[in-house]
Amino acid sequence: MKYTVLLPEALVVAAAVLVLLAGRLGWLSPGARRSLPAVVALVTLVALGIELWAGATLATYFEGGLVQDRFALFAKAAVLLTATIAFAVVDWTAEDSLTIGLAMPLLATFGVMVAASAGDLVALWAGLEVAAAAAVVMVAMRRPDLGLRLLVTGGVASALLLIGLAFLYASVGTSSLATMRAVLFSGTPTIALAIPVFLVMSGLAIRAALAPFQLASIPASLGASPLGAGLVLGLVAAAAATVAIKLVGALTPIPAVYATYLELIAAFAMVGGGAAALAAQSPRVRIAYLAAGQIGWVAAGLVTHYRSGLAGSLFLLGAFAVAATCAPAVMGRAEGGEQALHGMGVLRPARAAGLSLAMLSLAGAPPLAGFFGEFAVAAALAQSGHFALLTLGVFGTALSLAAVAGTMRAMYIQSPPDEARRTSRLPVLTGLSSFGAVAFCVVIAVYGIFSSPILGLADQGAEALGLR
Amino acid sequence: MIWQAIFAASPTPTPTPTVPGAGIFSSSLLLSITVWVPIVVAIAIAIVPNPRGRYDTLMKQIAFFTNLGLMFVLGVAYNQFQSFLPTLQYEERVPWLPAIGAVYHLGVDGPGMTMLILSGAIGIVSVLASLGVRERVRSYFCLLLLAQASVNGAIVARDMFVLILFWGAAAVPLALLVLGWGGHRRHQAAWRLLGYWGLGTGALILGTLALYSAAGQGSFDMDVLLKATISPRVQLAVGILMIVAAATRLPLFPLHGWARDVYSEAPVGVTVIVAGSASRLGAYLLLRTLIAAEPAAAHLLAPVLAALAALTVGYGALVAMRHHDIRQASAYLALIPGGVTVLALAALQPLSIAGAVLSLFAGGLAAALIVSVCATLSERAQSRSLHVLAGLAPRMPILTWLMVIAGLAVLGVPLLATFTSNLLTFFGSFKTQPIGAFAVAAGLGLGAIALASLWRRVLFSAPNPDAPGVSDASLGETWYLGMLAGGLLWVGLFPGGPKLPGTDSPLFDQGLVNVLSAGISDIASPYVLPTPGPGQ
Repeated sequence: MKYTVLLPEALVVAAAVLVLLAGRLGWLSPGARRSLPAVVALVTLVALGIELWAGATLATYFEGGLVQDRFALFAKAAVLLTATIAFAVVDWTAEDSLTIGLAMPLLATFGVMVAASAGDLVALWAGLEVAAAAAVVMVAMRRPDLGLRLLVTGGVASALLLIGLAFLYASVGTSSLATMRAVLFSGTPTIALAIPVFLVMSGLAIRAALAPFQLASIPASLGASPLGAGLVLGLVAAAAATVAIKLVGALTPIPAVYATYLELIAAFAMVGGGAAALAAQSPRVRIAYLAAGQIGWVAAGLVTHYRSGLAGSLFLLGAFAVAATCAPAVMGRAEGGEQALHGMGVLRPARAAGLSLAMLSLAGAPPLAGFFGEFAVAAALAQSGHFALLTLGVFGTALSLAAVAGTMRAMYIQSPPDEARRTSRLPVLTGLSSFGAVAFCVVIAVYGIFSSPILGLADQGAEALGLR
Repeated sequence: MIWQAIFAASPTPTPTPTVPGAGIFSSSLLLSITVWVPIVVAIAIAIVPNPRGRYDTLMKQIAFFTNLGLMFVLGVAYNQFQSFLPTLQYEERVPWLPAIGAVYHLGVDGPGMTMLILSGAIGIVSVLASLGVRERVRSYFCLLLLAQASVNGAIVARDMFVLILFWGAAAVPLALLVLGWGGHRRHQAAWRLLGYWGLGTGALILGTLALYSAAGQGSFDMDVLLKATISPRVQLAVGILMIVAAATRLPLFPLHGWARDVYSEAPVGVTVIVAGSASRLGAYLLLRTLIAAEPAAAHLLAPVLAALAALTVGYGALVAMRHHDIRQASAYLALIPGGVTVLALAALQPLSIAGAVLSLFAGGLAAALIVSVCATLSERAQSRSLHVLAGLAPRMPILTWLMVIAGLAVLGVPLLATFTSNLLTFFGSFKTQPIGAFAVAAGLGLGAIALASLWRRVLFSAPNPDAPGVSDASLGETWYLGMLAGGLLWVGLFPGGPKLPGTDSPLFDQGLVNVLSAGISDIASPYVLPTPGPGQ
């Protein structure tokens, strides 16, 4: 019974391996290929159900390498929900390979799940790297040059992380997060701790594509297929943010070693993301910068080093993962400038609604999930007296909202052009994708309006990290 | 009659006689209905299939009957409102987000009920004014209903989180309406609206969070947040942020940059909702968060508010005089009622606070009427230029009457609701803000000159033989403009409600001044001057 909790991870990995083998060995008939996305979405949905049913059990596995607590439950449930909706909503005709398009997001999901339940530094790093490697494969399928760029930049981030984590281990004397927290209660902020934390934060900022560290992630997301872009912008960034939250949870006894870095990163990301989104002309670039701005809010919540701040960040991370991963998938192959979206509100109403809600949520518009998360973080910032950061965040959100209005205008106000003059095709309509778009709209709306139990669970998640 | 009304408006709560029909209908979700029904209908309109606009007429009918139904519900609420109770009525309180201390708390007192009635009336007028929309009908009415729901939500919110939610949400549908159905300069208008209102929302969020932090009770409920003991320094900072938020919405000089473009470029139905109810939320916010909650900051900032009021009224009148575009001139004239409302708030007197609440209602109707009548006139005359429009009175008798009433309402002449509100305002403000009151009065004088000049050129000068053909208001236009004018006349003639001769029993309307006075004693209690003793 104890290992039932690990069943979701097992299901996700098994599904990924089977799909890869089926693609490689040609096991799939044309009919099976058509129904495969629905089957995989069902598998992740079942995994989500098991996680919610059995995930409340508190347990440790592999001698403390993995820990099942409320934090893990929240983050794993959020990422499984994200994967389910992404598989349902994506326009599979716009993807380069069905099997790799299904397997890589599954592996990335597995990576986030490992990071979420990591009990030590090794599992944290491994989870993040699995998610990032899956994203490199997805990008390289369409644009090998961008895949290589992402790999090299990711390598730098990985090196920074590894060196930082190794130094941290050397300074504290343990790789266990819980023990590290206990040791640091009697410790003082020293340069020997500040330097590795700086390296780790830099690596995570690159992984999360935070401004000004989006050296490869944003170009890669532009060149990738829709689901590949969602993987880079959403799941990998969510994995990095999960790692950051867990690390900050362990380092809260000595906030002086990370708070200043995080403040700077958060301020740059919130304002820079909003400003860049406003300046962007392409909807996918706009989504990328909106995502960067919102992940800046997640970082801002960590600055507070209070339970309420971390709970707000965790809640926002769930909203971010769903919106940032699914937004490019909902948009489909409508790439290029905003004229590609002209008339989408009339021609593809469900997908247009989904894209609007995703972008508005990423921008922090009321009453959607992103707004509730950003407000929870803002309340924590106010309680902890970070008014300068709060002001910058509000400014960044205002810029983001103005940016989204431009895209909504293109979808709903501009008349659809003649199909002959359209530079890129709108997403193909299928039963699954229409259902997925509607389900996505419902999730984004419900996550915000009925956020009380979700925020309550996020609060328990922050408590599980040892915060009071 | 008017003097009786003024007497009745002084905040001394007394039971009013039972109104026939009171108590026949009640619902604990009455306020939620006013907020969520338009949202549900908007979603329904958005998802119902409408191939090639086949059901456009049905969409319009749905929007109209939704507003009519809401107005019926609000009429019941108004009729059953206990005007002698200082406490909240129709209160709803459901725990929502305990992690951050937000509660789904709705409720209305006298000012809230007054604003709700205004919003309900404006909702019907805006739908009637939008019946001529031909393009993308579904999206238009969906956005209009969402905007109206946001305004209602901001009015009834008794939790600052809920207030921010609806306050911020109002900007998006209105900006999209301007962007999608506006005139030639619609892009500029929409971006300005978003920019200014976004700034205001940011200021409101920062002010609320500063208050939340200073109160230290982990709650956004107004009953907790606005009654906490806060240091004067924090009160001052919060007060300044609230003034910025209000000034962007009302608008007040110098944060009025969106008004000219939006009032002159938006379709008439949108103009009505922005000028009539959405923009009044600015003064309503000041009443709730500054005047009612932070008396120390209110005392310090009252001269600033009076100065802003005077600048707004004077600037609006002066610029209206110089404009050669009738819609832009009307946009500046529409700033004047907002300035008067803020002067009333700045006076910090029980009488003037009652005047401010009445001014929210009357000023909203007056501003909506002046911008909508000028928009209709320019459409019917096929020109906006004052060089072209001339001598229209003989050919447009209905619009001429309505334009004269609109102008008089802006100025606040007797028999109109704005007269009563202006009277209460000046009676209160000449005591405590004499310079500001004098400046606003002088601004109203300038406004009168601007209006007289406008009437003379457009209505009563020699006709322009080169002007395009004109026609008078259609039946539909007469209805919606007439409803605004009728509202102003009704409250102007019967501020205390119509009564049978020789009795105190109201016939079917207990009187707006009776309703609005509920709760004002509570708001005004920090500003009641001590009564001199017999030996003093």
